[in-house]
Amino acid sequence: MKLLIVEDNTDLLDNILTYLKREGYLCETAQNYDEAFDKIMSFTYDVVLIDVMIPGGNGLQILRELKSAHPETGTIIISAKNSLDDKVQGLNLGADDYLTKPFQLAELQARIKAVNRRNNLGGTEIVHINEICINTKTMEVTVDKAPVDLTPKEYQLLVYFASNKNHVLSKQTIAEHLWGDYVDHLDNLDFVYQHIKNLRK
Amino acid sequence: MKLITKFILIYLFVSLIVLSIAGILSYHIIKDEIDKELKWEFLDRIDRITYLIEEGKTFDSNKLNSDENLHVESLINYREDNVRVTDTLIWDHRLEQEERNVKVSAYRNIGDTTYFISTYGNMIESDDITEAVAKILLWILAMQVIGALGIGYFVSGSLFKPFRSTLKRIQQFNLNDRQYLEAEPTNVTEFADLNTFVEEMTKKAVSDYKNLKEFAENASHELQTPLAIAKGKLELLAETELTAEQFEYVEKLERSLKKLSRLSESLALLTKIENHEFKNSQEIDLSEMIQESIESFREFTDLQHLSVETAIEDHVKINIHPVLADILWTNLYHNAIRHNIEKGTIRISLQKDLLKISNTGENLSFDPELLFERFKKADQNSNSIGLGLSIIKRICDQLGYQISYTNDNGWHSIEIRLKSVKTG
Repeated sequence: MKLLIVEDNTDLLDNILTYLKREGYLCETAQNYDEAFDKIMSFTYDVVLIDVMIPGGNGLQILRELKSAHPETGTIIISAKNSLDDKVQGLNLGADDYLTKPFQLAELQARIKAVNRRNNLGGTEIVHINEICINTKTMEVTVDKAPVDLTPKEYQLLVYFASNKNHVLSKQTIAEHLWGDYVDHLDNLDFVYQHIKNLRK
Repeated sequence: MKLITKFILIYLFVSLIVLSIAGILSYHIIKDEIDKELKWEFLDRIDRITYLIEEGKTFDSNKLNSDENLHVESLINYREDNVRVTDTLIWDHRLEQEERNVKVSAYRNIGDTTYFISTYGNMIESDDITEAVAKILLWILAMQVIGALGIGYFVSGSLFKPFRSTLKRIQQFNLNDRQYLEAEPTNVTEFADLNTFVEEMTKKAVSDYKNLKEFAENASHELQTPLAIAKGKLELLAETELTAEQFEYVEKLERSLKKLSRLSESLALLTKIENHEFKNSQEIDLSEMIQESIESFREFTDLQHLSVETAIEDHVKINIHPVLADILWTNLYHNAIRHNIEKGTIRISLQKDLLKISNTGENLSFDPELLFERFKKADQNSNSIGLGLSIIKRICDQLGYQISYTNDNGWHSIEIRLKSVKTG
């Protein structure tokens, strides 16, 4: 998979690159508006990550240009602003997803995979992990061809694990993925174990 | 007291003192003048009589009786020419009281004879003078009062107009409008100085306020990138060969970072609410929103084995920005879940003008008055950041809703008086 990451902060870029390269993705970077514009015009990518605030222009403008030149490219907006208006604007412009800083790298990778699945394979892909098969379109899971009954949260968790299969995930990361900001209000994250226990069975 | 009233009162008080002094002086001057005139008059009379005697006229006792005030007598012994002026009290038969009189007596040598000539008359009474002086002064005072009122009316009317206009603008000044005060031009130096000062000061206040608000918002946004970096580094660190102990540290760091980012987000949110950035309100069906949210939080309530009892009227609608509605309710509900006890209860009641949410829970460890203050929390070690209720309060303040907290037998209740949209 070929990715373009538009982000001006070197340290953050470094984190993303290190994490994603382990998956064997081909990652290119652009640290300002002009560089990003050149790259989206000259090459095609499977997924482009765009930071809204970049030197020399607005990330949303890059999104607009990209959507008119290569509408099939998957896009994920990264923003420091957690405001509904920005989110709505980004998604209206054709972004596939919107991620607010600070985000988990595992979360980013899961979103990239989801966007890529939707865009490249018409939304249908069977994810195979050993004997487990996940059909991400019909949301059916089979183990050794035998269907498994899962709650929505358990399914979400399984897909998340599948997306980050070679990574170590902390329970904080998992909880944030499953419950988003609501996790703020929970003092005890041990219930994550409960879900994992159920999954293992 | 109005400035102009005070000014007039001071003016009249000073006038009264000045007029009293003027009255005493006038009295004495007038009295002296009249007394002097009277004496001259009597002296002149004596001279006239002396002249008449020299001409050969005689004054007999009969004639003297007809003019009681004149006494002429020829003396046997020689006396030198001499004039004496005395004051005396004389009984007035007609008025039946003693009157002050002035008496002039003289010895005159005419030919070989020495005559004693004496005449006296009523002096003008001091009461009369006092009365006259008082009358005059009262007239003057009356005219001064009228003058002062006239000037006062004029001064407060047109002269003070720029001042009053500036004052009114200052009273209406509101920092949140981000508009500095522009004063009416005036040609009075003092007022112009005041206007310039007020204008400069409000300009500065507005720009400082704007900077402060921008800073609060920017600071929280700027924090997010370094937080994202730190979080990413931790994730990368977690993938290296770590012992269980090291991994525990990483996890604790992650939780702290998450809390930090939430804190800055909540502060940014508070700033936004205070900045009135959620102005565009629309009709929100609160009943529907609450019911949906109870369903989506079922997992959390089940986790603590909480039972949720509801008494929700259908279609209670309020005018509110959708984001605010969500934040308001989510914070309230989370609060009720978070501060609940194992197997506790949450009661939600929604009526046309009242939203009440009660939950079982531990007693407050601090004064309930401080409940809505920032960073007030029951347990300083908890994962909570202590801004939830303060956000709720701020939203209610902005919407003009009354919010109150009561604690009754282990039940914590928060009541919000809604201003719902009239339906039907």
